[in-house]
Amino acid sequence: MLTFSAQLLVGATIAVLGTCLVLVIVVIAVRMHRQGRQKRDEMLLAPLRGPLITVASGEDDDGAATEQLTWATGVTRDVLDAAIVDLLTKIRGLPAEQLVGVLTAHGAVDRAKADLHHRSLVRRAKAAQMLGLAGGPDAVPLLVGALGDSTVQVRNSAAWGLGLIGDASAAGAVLAATGGEQGGIPASTSAETLQSMGVGISDVLATAFDDGDARTRMVAAHVTGDRSFTRGLPALRRLLADDPDLTVRETCATAIGRLGRAEDVTVLARHVAVDEPLSLRRACAAALGELGEAGAVPVLATLLDDADPRLAEIAASGLLGLGADGRAALAGREDTAPVRAARTVAELQRASA
Amino acid sequence: MTGFLEGLRSAVVWVMDVTSIPILAYFLLINTSLIVLIVLAYLEFRAQERRRATAVEWQGAGLAPGVSLLVPAYNEEAGIVTAVKSFLTLRYPRHEVVVVDDGSTDETFARLEQAFDLVEVPRELPHEVPVRARILGVYVPRDGRTRLVVVRKENSGRSEAINVAINAATEPLVAMIDGDSILEPDGLLHVTRPFADDPTRMVATGGAIRPVNGSRVIAGRIVRVEMPPTWLPRIQLVEYLRAFLLGRTGWSRLGSLILISGAFGLFRRDVVVEVGGLDPNSIGEDFELVMRIHKRLRDEGRDYRIEFVPEPVSWTEVPVTATVLRNQRRRWHRGLWETLWAYRSMLFRPKYGRVGWVALPYYWLFELFAPLLEFFGIIIVPLALFLGVVNIPFAILFLVLAYGYAVLVTLAAMLVDEWAFHKHDRWQALGVTVAASVLENLGYRQATVWWRLEGWWSSLRGKKHVWGVMTRTGFDEGSA
Repeated sequence: MLTFSAQLLVGATIAVLGTCLVLVIVVIAVRMHRQGRQKRDEMLLAPLRGPLITVASGEDDDGAATEQLTWATGVTRDVLDAAIVDLLTKIRGLPAEQLVGVLTAHGAVDRAKADLHHRSLVRRAKAAQMLGLAGGPDAVPLLVGALGDSTVQVRNSAAWGLGLIGDASAAGAVLAATGGEQGGIPASTSAETLQSMGVGISDVLATAFDDGDARTRMVAAHVTGDRSFTRGLPALRRLLADDPDLTVRETCATAIGRLGRAEDVTVLARHVAVDEPLSLRRACAAALGELGEAGAVPVLATLLDDADPRLAEIAASGLLGLGADGRAALAGREDTAPVRAARTVAELQRASA
Repeated sequence: MTGFLEGLRSAVVWVMDVTSIPILAYFLLINTSLIVLIVLAYLEFRAQERRRATAVEWQGAGLAPGVSLLVPAYNEEAGIVTAVKSFLTLRYPRHEVVVVDDGSTDETFARLEQAFDLVEVPRELPHEVPVRARILGVYVPRDGRTRLVVVRKENSGRSEAINVAINAATEPLVAMIDGDSILEPDGLLHVTRPFADDPTRMVATGGAIRPVNGSRVIAGRIVRVEMPPTWLPRIQLVEYLRAFLLGRTGWSRLGSLILISGAFGLFRRDVVVEVGGLDPNSIGEDFELVMRIHKRLRDEGRDYRIEFVPEPVSWTEVPVTATVLRNQRRRWHRGLWETLWAYRSMLFRPKYGRVGWVALPYYWLFELFAPLLEFFGIIIVPLALFLGVVNIPFAILFLVLAYGYAVLVTLAAMLVDEWAFHKHDRWQALGVTVAASVLENLGYRQATVWWRLEGWWSSLRGKKHVWGVMTRTGFDEGSA
C-alpha cells in the first residue's frame, strides 16, 4: 500500500511525463499541419500561377488571364485571394486595378467590409488591410472608423490602409488616433500614412503640435520636415524651445534644418548653447549646416573650439558646405582635429563622387 | 568503519529531515514560477502571432531611427571582414558599422584595412563615456561612402572597446554585437521596429540569439539552418530555446526584462551615455547595463520601455569544448552574482515596480541559488542511497519527476519555436532536439551546476577574473 506522498509523487510523475508526450505529439502535429497546408496551397495555386503572373506583370492586354482568375472557387479562391493581397503590396497601376477586380468578383472586398466588425482581431485587421489595398470611395469612412478599434493591430492596419488610399481628409483622424489613450497607432505607421497624403494635410498637421502626447507631436514634427510644410515652421520653433520631450525637440531641430529660413539661424543658435543637452546641440549644429544660410557661419565658427569634438566636427562639416564664407571661417584652425577630420571626410566624398 | 558509517547515516538523516520541507517548497516554487513564465510567454507569443498575422509592410522608411552597429574585435582576423561586409549589407535604411580593434595581436586590422581600403581620419572621439585605454587611430574607407568606421585602441577588454564604439557612434541607436555573430538580413528591421513605433519611450530591445554551429554560412549569411554536429552545442541550442523563447519573452510580457544578451542588444545611445556606458569592471556587463538603466530611469520616474523581440535576430557560435563552456558558465554566474549584489538595494522597493518585486527576487532565488540547491541534491541523494536511508524507488521517482519537469519546459519552448519560427525544418532535427532535452539532464546539467558554483565562489573569494579564450572553430563557409 503506497503512502499518500508516494501516491502524489507517482501521480505527479505520470502527469509530467504524460504532458511531455503530449507536447511531442503536438509539436509533430503542428509541423505536419504546416507542411501539409503549404503543399496544399502550392498545389491549388499551381494552375493559376501563370495567369496571376501575367496580370501582375501588366501583360494581360485582353483580360483573359484576369477572367480566368475570377473563376476560382472554394478553398482555391481563398488561397488565390491571399496571394493577390501579397502581390498588391508590391504593384501599382493597371495590374493592381485588375487584381482588385478579381478580389471584388470573389466577394473578398464585401466580406472585408463585414469583417471590420468581426470578433477576431486578425479578421478585422486583415479586413482593414484589404479595404486599403482595394481603395474605393466608401473605404475611407470605414477605415477612419476602424482607427477607433480597441486593438492596436486593427488601428495600425486601418492607418496603413488609409496611407495606401492617400486621402488627405483622413489625416486628422490618423493624428488624433496616433497618441490615443488605448496606446494609439505606432508612430512609424502614422508617419508613413501622413507622408503619403500629400500637401493637403498641412493645416491638420499644425494642430497636432499642441497634442498632449509626445508621440503625436514627434510624428507631426517629422512629417512637417520630411514633406517641407513651411506653415509648420512657427510650431517647430516653439516646440524646439519648449517641448518637455527631448526626442521631439531633436526632431524639430532636424525639421527646421530641412525647411528653415534665414531667421532660423537665431532659433537654432539658441540651442547650441552649452547648457542644452548634448544630443540637441549636435542636432541643432547639423541643422545649421543643413540650412545653408550664410548667417550660420559665425555660429558654427564658435562651435569649432567646443569641448565636444563631435560637435566641433559637425560644425566644421557645416562650414565646409557653406561655400567661401564657411571655408574662410576655418582659416587659422586647419590644424585642429575636428577641422582636419571634417576636411578629410569631405575630400574623400568629393573624390569618389 | 561501522561507527563512521552509522555517524554518517545519522548526519544524513538529520540533514534530510531538516531540509526536506524547505527543498520541497523550493521545488514547488521554482516549478510554479516556470509554469507562470510559460503562460506569460504563451500570452506574449499569441500576441506576437497576431501582430505577425496582421503585420503591414514596413521598409524602415520615415521614422526608422539610424543605428550604429558596435563591433568589438580582438584577434578576429579569420572572420572580421566577412562579418563587417554582412553587417554593411543588412536591409536597413540608415546604419553604420563601428569596429573597434581592441589591440589585436593578429592581422585583424590589416585585413580590414586591405578589404575596405581604409584611410586614417584625424578625428578626436568624444569622451561622453569615460575610457581609459589610448586611442591609436580612426579610419574610414577611402570611397567616402561606405558607412564604416574602424577605431584602433590599446587592449583593454570588450567593455571598453564597446565604450569607445559608443563614443565613435553617430546614430541615435547603438547595437552591441559580437564580431563573430551573424545577423538575419531583416534582423535590424525587427529590433528597431519597437523604437519606430514608440520613439519617445522605448530605450532598449533585445533580440533572440541562436547557436549557428553546423549551419551552412556563405559570405556572412546563413543559407541553411542545421543542427550542430555534436551533442555539447546541441544541448546549448536547447538551453537557448528555453532562455529566449520562454524566459526573456515571459519577462518582456511582464514588463520587467532585466537581461539583454551581450551578443545582441539595441539601445538608445543617449540613454547609454547618460548612465555611463558599459562598466569595464563588471563581468556581467550586459546584465549590469540593463540594471543600471532600469535603476536610473525609475529613480527619475521616467516613462520608458525595454522590450524583447523573439524573432531570431542574431546567430552565434557556442562553445564546442567543455573547457570553453566551463569558462563561459563560470563567467556568467559570477556576473549574475556580482550584478545582483550590486543592485540589491532595488529589491522590494516600490519605486522599482515589478523589477524590484518580481524579476530581481526571481533571479536571486531561482537563477543564483538554483545551482547551490541542485548541488546539494547531487551530493545528498547518492549518499543517502548509498547509506540506505531513503527508499530507492521513491528517490528514483523523485529524480524522474524533477528531470521530467525540466524536459517538459524545454518541450514547451520547442513547441513555441515550431509554431512561430520553425527554423529547423528537418524531422531529424526535431528528434535530435528532443533527445538533447533529455540528455541535458544526464551529466551536462550537473557539470554546469558545478561550473556556476565555481564562478560564484571565485567571486566571493575576491579572485580576479581571467577571461580566457573562446576558441572559435569558425563558420563552415559554403561547405557544410
